[in-house]
Amino acid sequence: MTKKYSIVLTALFCAFIGGIFLVSLLLPKKEFSQLENRYLQKPPELSLESLTDGQFMEDAEDYVSDHIAGRDFWVAAKAWSERLSGKRENNGVYFAKDDTLINRVDTPDPDKLDRDMSYVDALAGNVSVPVYFGLIPTAAAIWSDKLPAGAPTADELAIIDRLYFSTGANTVDVAGALASHKEEPIYYRTDHHWTSLGAFYGANALLEAMGMEPLDLNNYEKATVTDDFNGTIFSSSGVRWVKPDQIDTYVPGDGVKVTSYFTGQPQEGSLYVDSYLEVKDKYSYFLGGRQPLCVIETEHTDAPKVLIVRDSYSDSLAPFLTERFSEIHLFDPRDNLTSVKSYVEEHDIDAVAVLYSFSNFASDKNLFLLGR
Amino acid sequence: MVFSTPIFLFCFLVLTLLVYYVVPRRFRNLVLLCASLLFYYWGEQAYVVIMFLSTAIDFTHGLLVERCKKRDNDRGARLAVASSILFNLALLFFFKYWDFIAGSLQAMGLTFMPVLNIHLPIGISFYTFQTMSYTIDVYRGDARAQRSILNFGTFVTLFPQLIAGPIIKYKDLGDQIDSRDASTEKFASGVQIFMVGLAKKLLIANNVGMLWDSYKAMAPADLTVAGAWLGVLAFTFQIYFDFSGYSDMATGLGRMLGFEFLPNFNYPYISKSITEFWRRWHISLSTWFREYLYIPLGGNRCSKARWMFNLLVVWTATGIWHGASWNYLLWGLYFFCLLMAEKFFLLKLLEKAPALVRHLYTLFFVVVSWAIFAIEDFGHLTAYLKVMFGLGSVPLADGALVYYLTGYLPILCAAALASTPLGITVYQKLPRRAAQVSGAVLILAGLVLCTAYLVDGTYNPFLYFRF
Repeated sequence: MTKKYSIVLTALFCAFIGGIFLVSLLLPKKEFSQLENRYLQKPPELSLESLTDGQFMEDAEDYVSDHIAGRDFWVAAKAWSERLSGKRENNGVYFAKDDTLINRVDTPDPDKLDRDMSYVDALAGNVSVPVYFGLIPTAAAIWSDKLPAGAPTADELAIIDRLYFSTGANTVDVAGALASHKEEPIYYRTDHHWTSLGAFYGANALLEAMGMEPLDLNNYEKATVTDDFNGTIFSSSGVRWVKPDQIDTYVPGDGVKVTSYFTGQPQEGSLYVDSYLEVKDKYSYFLGGRQPLCVIETEHTDAPKVLIVRDSYSDSLAPFLTERFSEIHLFDPRDNLTSVKSYVEEHDIDAVAVLYSFSNFASDKNLFLLGR
Repeated sequence: MVFSTPIFLFCFLVLTLLVYYVVPRRFRNLVLLCASLLFYYWGEQAYVVIMFLSTAIDFTHGLLVERCKKRDNDRGARLAVASSILFNLALLFFFKYWDFIAGSLQAMGLTFMPVLNIHLPIGISFYTFQTMSYTIDVYRGDARAQRSILNFGTFVTLFPQLIAGPIIKYKDLGDQIDSRDASTEKFASGVQIFMVGLAKKLLIANNVGMLWDSYKAMAPADLTVAGAWLGVLAFTFQIYFDFSGYSDMATGLGRMLGFEFLPNFNYPYISKSITEFWRRWHISLSTWFREYLYIPLGGNRCSKARWMFNLLVVWTATGIWHGASWNYLLWGLYFFCLLMAEKFFLLKLLEKAPALVRHLYTLFFVVVSWAIFAIEDFGHLTAYLKVMFGLGSVPLADGALVYYLTGYLPILCAAALASTPLGITVYQKLPRRAAQVSGAVLILAGLVLCTAYLVDGTYNPFLYFRF
């Protein structure tokens, strides 16, 4: 090695690692990553305790990794590199056909599912009104033909069948309803939720299970509220080469009274919260996102009242239900520790629907509340 | 702390190099010692006490050995060596093997040793072997006793090779600890080797490691014959690129600081026999065992029965050195049997065989050995091996195999090529100018790619926590 060349290599290396160190140190720190849709690690707290139990080191490692200069660039570069090396997944996200990103779903622990089913059954036995149970399969199951050939993912439809077979609740065939419309844009391409169109088919599956008159899509006018939606899978995948999604609505937002309980206290809400269209987390446009309780009162005062044990999929479903119910109570057991049974009695609810996406049902730890 | 983290590369290394080269030369060892202690404390906190203890005890023993030797008190010197070996082995035994032995005894109904659930201090098998070599080297006259406890502490804790080797014998490093030259040429060659190691770890090992993890996690009934082979082939590449990657990073960091370490891997997968494989794989470990165990036992200058016994001891030790679990013991004995067979008749047969046959023979037994190495649970291991050899009543292939094979084919091919000296041969044949330009471009590209994989490092395992 010549002296000149060794100086070049040494300078290159030192400038690179030293440069990243300096720029990262001097750059103003962000609290929240819009692109990744998550809070970044806060500065590690220096204390005798955190230094002896290793917490400081763990936090410091995450802090450096989260606040490194050009983080968004590095994340995107890794996804690109995986793609160019022939991989068809990154961070558990499959690069599917038609510019679609789909989360891989791991096969859930059967014992956990059985335990959760026992809570649903306990609810069905506890309350005097009919209880409906619907599991919404993810895009990995319904759009399996868009996945790369042979891509492993849980056999959601078989698992749903098994759970439906054994439950005492009335089952809602969401999977069948979605599968028969799988050629249509029923899921977002960059987000794990169903689209309003998917939610429409889900709503009809619920109404059908309840023996109520289904809705007709022709009665609605589709309105596109944004075409610049980069969803949760966009964030986690690091993939930056797919075009953004659009968010559509079908049901107009007026004529209903929405009461949201974001903080536990009632406040006036809305079916659609326009301010979310300006930020990254645009799916929260529907009802304003996760909340312990949300009550929607409609003009059809003689119609029945329904309580939905919700996850975020119900937020885009709720607008369709306003046609058939006088009151819709969206109840989230993750944040709301009230007993469902006493809530049903107190508010004269006529039917309860436990409606969960497959992934949330497989991972939720608060379902035991249903049985109380 | 591990090398393949953003905090190591962009904070620890930057600051350590800066301080190391800014302070006057005579303070360099002090800087290294402090940096190394911080490096170890970062991951193990309270266990840093072992560093102080090891330093103090082996330092005194070294002086004791030398003093006894000067007074021609061979008995005293031997006693001091024995005492130091005992201390190091006791350390290793307690932290690494106590729970394993206690658990095994309890399974047999013997409960006099309680299971203590001891957390294994990272790197203990590497640094106890390093410090053990010190008093022996002093006794044998291969090295002089270290007079400065600061310098000795630097040897014990030296962060580049502290937690994943190579295992450096004191006689190879002692003089460098006392004084070493640093130059831009040395630093630049350190950068080259470090980058090769970092790329091996982040771009190849972690990548194929994910493939192995997918297959390791499958229930045996969900495997396929071809899938089981693909899985263990992925591990074959993972362990080599991970381990030799760490060694390269250690060597590179060592050179940046002015040290020169002996090579630890020499393209093991191009071997034409198992005997040759073990001359190319983890060289610092096999040399250690040869010099400090096999030869003292009598080596091969003894009866045939004794010689076989000596080899059995060495391979049992090699097996359990890799982890306190039955599968590592089995793995060591597996190689003992193969090496015995080669020494008695196989090597002679192989000499007549075409090179391709000898390569395939070696690779076959090496790949199978990695299955034994990688699966600790005996039930799982037997089921996995059965599937590999078509006894598992599972299909030959399935959709998942097609998915994994197509997705990982480019990286597997790259790994196969990088397991041979092809790349370095081509590089050395390039005209000087072209070699320099491509070298600099590769290092820049490597830095950019590795940073991307470091920052989005959802999968970045440390494989040696059992060693």
